[in-house]
Amino acid sequence: MKVFCLRNLFLILIMLVIFSCKKTQEKATVAETGHINFLFTHNVDDQPLNTDTMMYINAAGNLYEVNQLMYFISDVKLYKSDGTIKVIDDWKNINYVDIDIPSTLTWNVYDSIPVGAYDSISFTFGINAEKNKSFMFVNHPESNMAWPDMLGGGYHYMMLNGKWQDSINQIENFNFHLGIGQLYKSNATNCVDSIYAYVQNYFNVSLPNSSFTITEGTTRNIEIIMNIDSWFKTPHIYNHNYWGGNIMQIQPAMQMIKENGYDVFSVGNIN
Amino acid sequence: MKILKKYLFFLNVVLFPFYLHSQDIKDTVKLKSIEIKDSLIKKYSYIASDISKTQIQNSNTHDIGEFLRTVPNVSGLRKGGIAVDPVIRGFRYSELNVVLDNGIKIENGCPNRMDPVSSHVEADDIEKIEIIKGPYTLRYGSSLGGVLNFVTIKPQKYDEFEIHANAMYGFETNWNGQKEHISVFGGYKKIYFLFSGGYKNYGNYESGNLDDLDTTYNSSFEKYNYMGKVGFILTPNQNILFSYSNIRSNDVLYPALPMDEVSDNTQIGSIDYSLKNIGNIIKTFDIKIYRSDVNHIMDNSKRSNYSTKQMIAEVDAINTGGRAELNLQLNKHKIIAGLDFEDIAKDGERIMTMQMMGTSSTKKTNLWNDALIQNSGLYAEYTTSFSSYEINASIRCDYNKATSKDTLKLVKDAIEYFDDVSSQSLNLSANAGITKKINDHLSISLALCRGVRTPNMLERYIKLLAVGYDNYDYLGNPRLKPEINYEADLTLKYSKENLGAVYLNGFYSYVTDYISSVRIPPSIITSQTQGVLGVKQFANTDHVTFEGFELGYTSPEQFRLNTSIVAAYTYGVIPEDIKYITSGTQVIGETTVINDALPEIPPFETTLGISYKFVKRNITPKISIRIVADQRHTSVALYESYTPGFALLNFSVKCKINKFADINAGINNIFDRAYYEHLNRKIVGSTGKLYEPGRVFFINLYVNI
Repeated sequence: MKVFCLRNLFLILIMLVIFSCKKTQEKATVAETGHINFLFTHNVDDQPLNTDTMMYINAAGNLYEVNQLMYFISDVKLYKSDGTIKVIDDWKNINYVDIDIPSTLTWNVYDSIPVGAYDSISFTFGINAEKNKSFMFVNHPESNMAWPDMLGGGYHYMMLNGKWQDSINQIENFNFHLGIGQLYKSNATNCVDSIYAYVQNYFNVSLPNSSFTITEGTTRNIEIIMNIDSWFKTPHIYNHNYWGGNIMQIQPAMQMIKENGYDVFSVGNIN
Repeated sequence: MKILKKYLFFLNVVLFPFYLHSQDIKDTVKLKSIEIKDSLIKKYSYIASDISKTQIQNSNTHDIGEFLRTVPNVSGLRKGGIAVDPVIRGFRYSELNVVLDNGIKIENGCPNRMDPVSSHVEADDIEKIEIIKGPYTLRYGSSLGGVLNFVTIKPQKYDEFEIHANAMYGFETNWNGQKEHISVFGGYKKIYFLFSGGYKNYGNYESGNLDDLDTTYNSSFEKYNYMGKVGFILTPNQNILFSYSNIRSNDVLYPALPMDEVSDNTQIGSIDYSLKNIGNIIKTFDIKIYRSDVNHIMDNSKRSNYSTKQMIAEVDAINTGGRAELNLQLNKHKIIAGLDFEDIAKDGERIMTMQMMGTSSTKKTNLWNDALIQNSGLYAEYTTSFSSYEINASIRCDYNKATSKDTLKLVKDAIEYFDDVSSQSLNLSANAGITKKINDHLSISLALCRGVRTPNMLERYIKLLAVGYDNYDYLGNPRLKPEINYEADLTLKYSKENLGAVYLNGFYSYVTDYISSVRIPPSIITSQTQGVLGVKQFANTDHVTFEGFELGYTSPEQFRLNTSIVAAYTYGVIPEDIKYITSGTQVIGETTVINDALPEIPPFETTLGISYKFVKRNITPKISIRIVADQRHTSVALYESYTPGFALLNFSVKCKINKFADINAGINNIFDRAYYEHLNRKIVGSTGKLYEPGRVFFINLYVNI
């Protein structure tokens, strides 16, 4: 009788382990929301950007080409018709775009977007002062956008790198960079010891014609276009021959870029 | 009885091809006046075993954590060539109560656990390792999943003055490792002493051969230590022992961690006072006071990213504590009662320097900022027997409080991720077990327990370091609640002089407030370690379960031919977990995974050992075969990868040259098999796991005078 009990006990032990193995299942969360993806495209003179080809002429008459373009947008806001605002920050609130890295040209937004009609979209071009801190990004490619601490720290808002033909027909490099600007005590702009203040150059962009609707369970793809030629015009004519190739330490140039930036973006297809 | 014999025979025959292993659970050695014999059948209602010094020596180990992986249901996390971190039944880190010399605690310095407690004790200084699976011993502190007690060699008094010495030299191929150890001990009636020292220098090891390729891992290390113990007999029933040890390591490389160990300097001092034969009821009274101090420095100077980003971290971890214990006996009733306290202080800083655009930026962050955990406990253990029953029970009450000088505030949408850093808790642990002797050979035991573990320093206060297995920076959580393990163990033991000993154990654990982790969006905090995928924060989950079994057989010691077979399995489940859906590096959504596997749970494995003693039992060759199954029950939510199974064949021969000298030589991984354990970590910057060493020839010479 005892042996019978023990044998059964042994079997129970083994069976317990075997039958307590439970099947793993995945289930999606169901809610009355949809999703959005942002698709980033880049135009010059209303045509898709062709890189590494000296073929564009800006408003100042500079012949130029674009080699690299990297930038951040942040704090995207969706304005609903009922007056509420959906801020995109459930997962990330800063998005990096790099024309050489195709995966960065699409932002699959993590946030669940409440269903309804939306009037418009806005975002910060660059990163605001509260968030823009050094060592915030430690991985490539975002970490390559670091802005030197002595010039204000944090990260570049934008790196637009290319070449232009100068007034004596020499091909020169331009680093059309936007980030935290500096105010210098003297005109010697390269002397970091004479910096007495920093200037935040990020700015808010409201996208025209950016209304859309979200229905339950659907994903809306929204194309955001950067019109690169707009950086060099309206309201100011930007002349490479005047400002030169490197402007990280020239706040007046960055101020001009900032003021030109408000109408650089537009919305393309929404589907 | 016939049926039982038939059943045991069946067990041997059927399980033989499956449950092959060579766990050294059977050796009989003379240690002073104690004979340790077949640790598997200790008279407890739970699974407790003692590993002797001889067993450790026979295994040719240079790392205690690596050795412990030969024990059934004990596995280890490998991150480099040394400091394998023990895991018992899927419980790890501070879920295990790991102590030294019956109560000394050591707070590891490294947040990445380059220095688990087991690495702060030298294998050659260990007299025995006590392993308790489950939180059934509360004397050494509260525990959640098990207890490891490393007992170092203790000097003893002699009637007349005597002095002795032991020496060891060992060499291993593959990583051209050499180890040396010497100890001198002796004394007389009033004073006794022991002094020892050791040195290890190992190069990089090669994995086994895979597709005609061996991989060499940057896993070299240098380690040395010395220890001194001096005891005084104050009166015939009183003695006091002063102990000090210092273990240092330099340039220890960890290919599966973001940094390497530059140096580790661990000092441990203790005083033990003992009063014996006090009265008819009070038998002994013991007091222990200790202090362990770990200084740990690590950096990435040997990594490819050092030119663009330099990281260096230094941590100081000090554990100061003590305990007082009374041993009482009244007839068959034995009670051990005591109190203990510990004070853990930890402070550490990381300095990062990034090169960019021709300039460099430096940032200093604290990993811990004068963090402090204090714990005080009261405990009692009771054992008795009547008729054919043996009963044991324990109870323990702990008051735990923690604080830190952290100034980090992380609050978003009214959710406090990291804010108020002080906490306190009152925790009650208890267990009870009963053993029924069915006859002279057979017994059955049932043990039940409630084990409580408070969160450790890492889980409460660490700030953004990749300390997990999953390539994320981790953030501590000061608001964590203690984990509680409700566990049941059912054990059958059978032993007979001419048949050997067999045991079968099944366990079930239901752990509430299990400390796991959740991802924190980059909109709240961004990672600080290059190459990681994001930030996770420690968090309590509702509950998880562990269950499994282990089975062991050892043949009678008196026979020349000896065999041992062990097999073990653990199955861990989390009822509900979140899986983040990614596209490239972007997180685009989440799903809920039901009944997901817990990560880092070892697969089923079995080991067979066969040895034969000849030439007056002076030469003992032994083969062992270890078979490990695939691990397919992996965490879906955490994208844990599957691990293929493997089989290994090892051979060793132990030869007693004369009464002063022994040699132990052999080959591990004879077929140079390329394999990795499921718990081995991934190589930093890749998805590939760190392989185990390939074929190793070893020889160890022991001299005892």
